[in-house]
Amino acid sequence: MAYIGVNATADFVTLRLNNSADFSSNIAAAFVAGESSNYYDVPSMQEVTVNATPGIFRWKQLDSLSEKAVTTSSTNSVALTVVLDDTTFYSNTGSSYGILDTVNNKTKTAFRLYWSGTSSSDRHIEGEAYLSALAPTVTPDSPVWTSPLTLEVVGDFTPGQVA
Amino acid sequence: MSLRSDLLANVTTQLNGSSVSVTSELPWSAGGVELYRKNKKKFYLSETDQDLTQLQSTLDTSDVFQTEDTLTGFITVDAKNQPADIQTVVSAVLNSRLSVDNYFVRECLVNTATDADEIVYTFEYRFVKLT
Repeated sequence: MAYIGVNATADFVTLRLNNSADFSSNIAAAFVAGESSNYYDVPSMQEVTVNATPGIFRWKQLDSLSEKAVTTSSTNSVALTVVLDDTTFYSNTGSSYGILDTVNNKTKTAFRLYWSGTSSSDRHIEGEAYLSALAPTVTPDSPVWTSPLTLEVVGDFTPGQVA
Repeated sequence: MSLRSDLLANVTTQLNGSSVSVTSELPWSAGGVELYRKNKKKFYLSETDQDLTQLQSTLDTSDVFQTEDTLTGFITVDAKNQPADIQTVVSAVLNSRLSVDNYFVRECLVNTATDADEIVYTFEYRFVKLT
């Protein structure tokens, strides 16, 4: 057993986005070497939460002392907080929209979240998502734009490992 | 120009014609007595203390840092015969904090301490900017 640390440089958590095309038939294709000019990593993340929540339908029966349950469709999302970076926020990367335009245009985005590093055999989850909940905030005492951001996942998280 | 010299220049302008003069000397001690106590009605300003701290921490160490600069100014006057314009002088020194640009926190506190027949006005400047 070992914990999944993200404190060392080689173990940083990485969120990679590519919305240059429709990758729904093969999401892994969005992150191959040939797509390196179209995907980008979201920098300066402060907090990442992966939500993988199956829906539950419960009912009671007269012949049982406890509730019964079955699962329904899962609600999957990735929530994060970022310090906004002017390049990835405003500008396109190759044919991929920056974060602001992705939200504005409601563009479905292929994403890959590396749990702990991006080296060979490091693990990740990937999928498709719509970016939402962008709410940039700045105050006089903290004069740097920060924002929450949620990836509302379309379908499943697909686990994988770096080859 | 350094923060200290900017402040000194502004205080010099503000106190021009008042009963208090400004010196660029540091408030060092001579024979166990600080210069600002020896030389009354003179404004002394310390060297800048600097503190570099994290404003926003991130998971990839692209953290946002802030620099906090603090300086201390001193004026000593006779407690029995305070200059008639001392409140104007104190206000001018407090307001000199606004002459510094590029800091998002520009604060100045004044404390007074009475010792024998002297009142020492201590001005604590605090400036914070993004690094």
